[in-house]
Amino acid sequence: MADVLFKGTPSHTSGNLPKVGSQAPDFKLTAGDLSDVSLADFKGKKKLLSIVHSLDTGVCAASTQRFNDFARNRDDVVVLVVSCDLPFAQARFCTGEGIANVVTLSMMRDRQFAKDYGVLLTDSPLAGLTARATLVLDENNKVLYAQMGPELTVEPDYEPAFAALK
Amino acid sequence: MAQITRYGSPIHTHGELPEVGSAAPDFRLVDADLNDVTLASFKGKKKLLSIVPSLDTPTCSLSTKKFNEAAAAYPNAVMLIVSADLPYAQKRFCAAEGTGQVVTLSMMRSRQFARDYGVLIVDGPTEGITARAIVVIDENDRVVHRELVPEIRQEPDYEAALTALK
Repeated sequence: MADVLFKGTPSHTSGNLPKVGSQAPDFKLTAGDLSDVSLADFKGKKKLLSIVHSLDTGVCAASTQRFNDFARNRDDVVVLVVSCDLPFAQARFCTGEGIANVVTLSMMRDRQFAKDYGVLLTDSPLAGLTARATLVLDENNKVLYAQMGPELTVEPDYEPAFAALK
Repeated sequence: MAQITRYGSPIHTHGELPEVGSAAPDFRLVDADLNDVTLASFKGKKKLLSIVPSLDTPTCSLSTKKFNEAAAAYPNAVMLIVSADLPYAQKRFCAAEGTGQVVTLSMMRSRQFARDYGVLIVDGPTEGITARAIVVIDENDRVVHRELVPEIRQEPDYEAALTALK
């Protein structure tokens, strides 16, 4: 269980992020075309997982823009933006904002990903959604970097995540 | 379990809609301000539940506008639009479309509502969200009308739903 803040109010997650050096848990999430995808679908690439509570909120939108810019010249990296938004909302967001360099993935079918990655919020008004977290995985899905944002309404720390992808 | 279709292909729901004459199952859903609401929050009113797969898709958008327009003629009723969209997406939709006469409710915390009302889709591309359905509930929380739309892309029978609300 991890402690985070939502507008200053303590909130808790179901578990902890996977540890640096460990193997990232596999997952089943839903892509924009409603197909199921897993870690194996991005085989051979480095992965930056940006876990956000909703793309329809300002901070998540800002971080997705930032990661989209980063991904533009990095063919070796795939940026996966994971949220509880339905794929329909994710697609609307990406089209509206001109975001084309990230892959959005939805927890529309269940919250198993959130449980396995320790980011499911169990209390506060956001219970049922996720904490904000950034993970970097290498080509073999080993965790190189993992950070949970201490305050849900604050943008993640970009530089350490980018440094882990050097 | 009930069978419906999506683009003509069969898909299935977890159960059956509550029967006409039965007591409507209680529920806990989340409103646009992230507050929990239950059936008792609308005590003494007639309730029209319009259950939709996602407000970010065209048919759901149409039906929501239709119920929003009809709302003025039913002062003792409340139009509840229930979906798996997050409250942020529902709020954005209502602001953009001017649908201020309906109350949107989200399954962001769990799919318990979808299970209790028998509308959770258990297979196919939309697994994890709901079928399209109407449930009309009287002042004493008795089910007086129900419709499971047989093809998910079609609109519900507005006439029948609004007649039951009289």
